[in-house]
Amino acid sequence: MTPEKRPHPERRTYPFSAILGQERMKLALLLNAINPAIGGVVIRGQKGTAKSTAARGLSALMPALAQGRRPPFVDFPLGATEDMVVGAIDLEAAIRQGVVAFQPGLLARAHNGVLYVDEINLLNDHLADSILDASESGENIVEREGQSLRHESRFILIGTMNPEEGEVRPQLLDRFGLAVSVEGEREPALRVELLKRREAFDLDADAFIARFRDDEAELAGRIVAARRRLREVFCPAHLSGFIAEICQRNHVAGHRADIVMDRAARAHAAWRGADDVSADDILAVAPMVLLHRMRTAEPEVPPPPPPPEDRPDEQAREEPQDQDSSGDQDDASSPASNTQADRGDPGGSERTAPPESDESAQQETSAANDEVAEIGAAFTVRKLDAQARDRVFRTGSGKRSRSRSACKQGRYVKSAERRDRNDLAFDATLRAAAPHQKTRRETATRDLAVHIADSDIREKIRERRVGNFLLFIVDGSGSMGAHRRMVETKAAIMSLLLDAYQKRDKVAMVVFRGRCAETVLPPTNSVERAAKLLADLPVGGRTPLSQGLETASQILRQVERRDPAALPLAIVLTDGRANAGLGCSPPHEEALRAAAQLRELHPAARFVVVDTEAPGVVRLELARKLADALNASYFKTEDLRAEDLVALAKETQTW
Amino acid sequence: MVTMERACAHYPFAAIVGQEVLKKSLILNVINPSLSGVLIRGEKGTAKSTAVRALADLLPEIEVVEGDPFQSDPHDPKTMAPEVRARHEAGETLPVRRRKVRVVELPISATEDRVIGTLDLEVAIKEGRKTIEPGLLAGAHRGILYVDEVNLLDDHVVDVLLDSAAMGVNTIEREGVSFSHPARFTLVGTMNPEEGELRPQLLDRFGLCVHVEGLRTPADRVEVVKRRAAFEDDPAGFVARWAEETARLRAAIAAAISLYPQVQAPDSLLFEIAERSLAMGVDGHRSDLIMLKAAKALAAWGGRDAVSPADLAEAAGLALAHRVRRRPFEDIANARTA
Repeated sequence: MTPEKRPHPERRTYPFSAILGQERMKLALLLNAINPAIGGVVIRGQKGTAKSTAARGLSALMPALAQGRRPPFVDFPLGATEDMVVGAIDLEAAIRQGVVAFQPGLLARAHNGVLYVDEINLLNDHLADSILDASESGENIVEREGQSLRHESRFILIGTMNPEEGEVRPQLLDRFGLAVSVEGEREPALRVELLKRREAFDLDADAFIARFRDDEAELAGRIVAARRRLREVFCPAHLSGFIAEICQRNHVAGHRADIVMDRAARAHAAWRGADDVSADDILAVAPMVLLHRMRTAEPEVPPPPPPPEDRPDEQAREEPQDQDSSGDQDDASSPASNTQADRGDPGGSERTAPPESDESAQQETSAANDEVAEIGAAFTVRKLDAQARDRVFRTGSGKRSRSRSACKQGRYVKSAERRDRNDLAFDATLRAAAPHQKTRRETATRDLAVHIADSDIREKIRERRVGNFLLFIVDGSGSMGAHRRMVETKAAIMSLLLDAYQKRDKVAMVVFRGRCAETVLPPTNSVERAAKLLADLPVGGRTPLSQGLETASQILRQVERRDPAALPLAIVLTDGRANAGLGCSPPHEEALRAAAQLRELHPAARFVVVDTEAPGVVRLELARKLADALNASYFKTEDLRAEDLVALAKETQTW
Repeated sequence: MVTMERACAHYPFAAIVGQEVLKKSLILNVINPSLSGVLIRGEKGTAKSTAVRALADLLPEIEVVEGDPFQSDPHDPKTMAPEVRARHEAGETLPVRRRKVRVVELPISATEDRVIGTLDLEVAIKEGRKTIEPGLLAGAHRGILYVDEVNLLDDHVVDVLLDSAAMGVNTIEREGVSFSHPARFTLVGTMNPEEGELRPQLLDRFGLCVHVEGLRTPADRVEVVKRRAAFEDDPAGFVARWAEETARLRAAIAAAISLYPQVQAPDSLLFEIAERSLAMGVDGHRSDLIMLKAAKALAAWGGRDAVSPADLAEAAGLALAHRVRRRPFEDIANARTA
């Protein structure tokens, strides 16, 4: 089975023109086909909404390249290794002929075509970086394994993501030209038609494709025509000002939005068959350009400026101008980005942390009978680890990524003489083999350029940033309701969550109150979900601390079972006033025993106790006893704040 | 790779007491493999694994190209693995072998390499030749991929599985190897919800979802113990005693498979499907298609060539439970509908 240049198994592509609904997504894709410089699309949305079908369909529509070659469609597999993305040394050529040849990776293969990354939010950061770098610059720069070269790599990048699974960093999102948000169709008749088509396609794909052949040809023809027209499309000066105004009003960071909006509007005009960009073109594309770039939740689209006869630019912008408005404008004034607002875009919250959380503080919801405290203002969190454990954890974290023997993910940092992962560091292996070549050639049976023995083999050591697992064990009892303590506590949790988001930790949350402890949030990557949950968290009832600790133990067991190398961090937020227990001994004694047991059962876990007792003259400091039993670091809520920026910078480095 | 093709004694499918929903959901997937699998949720010791392993005996036969690790279909060049396809195009008559559809088990400890396949390092550096060492997905093509405790699987492996399950193609892009081969399989997973939930994305990939519980009536429980003891005493004899029942089941499945293409669903039922999905607030459209296919398979299994409202109701129970849009932390079991 030699894997070289054989045709990949053919798959029948569901025709783009047969996709019903999802107009905005289709438009975004078509605009990119007309002008790939727009910079790709990120499609956010639910499962099963024809995201990948549309992406595949688009590549089938794109005009053929030189010599009638079809534009490539590269499906980026999540399991790809770094070498295969950017390219690597051609091993065969090296050993057989002794030549150092570059073996192109996925970025080379996607040149002039479509690179499709499903679930881009699950991709390793360093891979996402490589892809987006290439997508933006149009070339791939290789500086690895002793190779140094660059090659062209222009492609339409289409990424999909389900925000529930975690977000993509805003810097990365910004590199995508457009973003659309998709949802399932709500209209039963449409769903039925959709169902019928899909069923027909599944039963007899060839017949189905034949049915849509004409539509496909027409669409493809329109793309070609629009591409040709694109060069002549003119954007009047007053509309350029309009674009700038839209971007400015929406507080978009940087200038990429302006550039993309200009390109997209031109492509939209070309698509309509017009020679000039109109205000409608801009309004049609604005939501797609802004969706992932806005700092505020709601896009704000000012009325389009009057036609140029009046006066160029500034003055007359106040008066609304409706004469041009067609269906598109309604579209733009109620953009699909509302959905993003609901999801509480943590991208925004990362950049503008304090105001964002102020906003969420107002999202107080009406729970049934228990009291729901608002979330106080979030702050920057100090490092939670005790100083002494710091270094252990750091190297531990580094080791952890290396010790994951199955894993070939991560950046290649150096090589080592060992063999347990079959992760060959070819450059290092060759260097190790070099001195022996003369003697080996004399005894060799095979005619190879390089002779390699087992002792030469070097493996790659890869480094990968690993997130932590944070388990919040939160006291939700009535005593927390007094003196706005829950407000403070929620602020503390919120701050920790924001911090966890930035460090891409997994989180879970246990709340104990009343008679039991409850896992309100099972281990998840979606810190966002946790944050939303936090807002609705009620207080009231007794304090079953020992049950809380027991539930925490169950979760820790789960996590450790999944990933034995995990080093979880459990954060207990309580005033330590346990007053409900499981057995007959006094609840707080029972809690201390449970704490000691928890520590024993989970030697890998680190514990932090945050004492939420209100500051005042009389402090019981019961939580301190709990901290001692857990061998945990102990903080008071007010101690959590990072003192100053310098200390913070130091601390984040050693986290 | 653990294949369960061998004729060693499995506890017969037909001899499993109760668990009708579980058994039916597995049979439906045999009738229409494009139902994309079933997720079996339930406590320990509820015949989950037994049922899946026993299913191997009921599976129909398929033709494969002899010696091809990618299980290519000798009659469909479009889905052939690249090498076999090249041979086919060169005019070679491919050797054909008939064998049963397989159940391939994916162990929890499986690494990404083992699952998707990798470069054979030994050959690569000593002979300067790149060869693929096929992974489990190659073996599972056109068969059933069984993941016990799917919720404990490493995230990486889950992503890779999802990718292949969605595309029907496994792509190897590592160590300087770029290779893809078809990998269409029916994903069967079991999980104990107490050990943690699955990501919604993965949940959605499973066509059907059933919830199994221990049997309630003492008589049934006694019967379970009796049969199990009889099987352990004399596996071969026990299997032989159930041979007739097994043959009957196999014949019924074969009949349903051949009836399936003729099954029709009236438009009114299609609207009901859409309305059910909307009413339950499920994400996306996958549930519609699965519901339709499941209802058709149920009709075929019942020997009918038209989908009845009862089929649809049953299909909805199997296809919607795990897709209901949950408030983030609700347990699936709570959100289940009848």
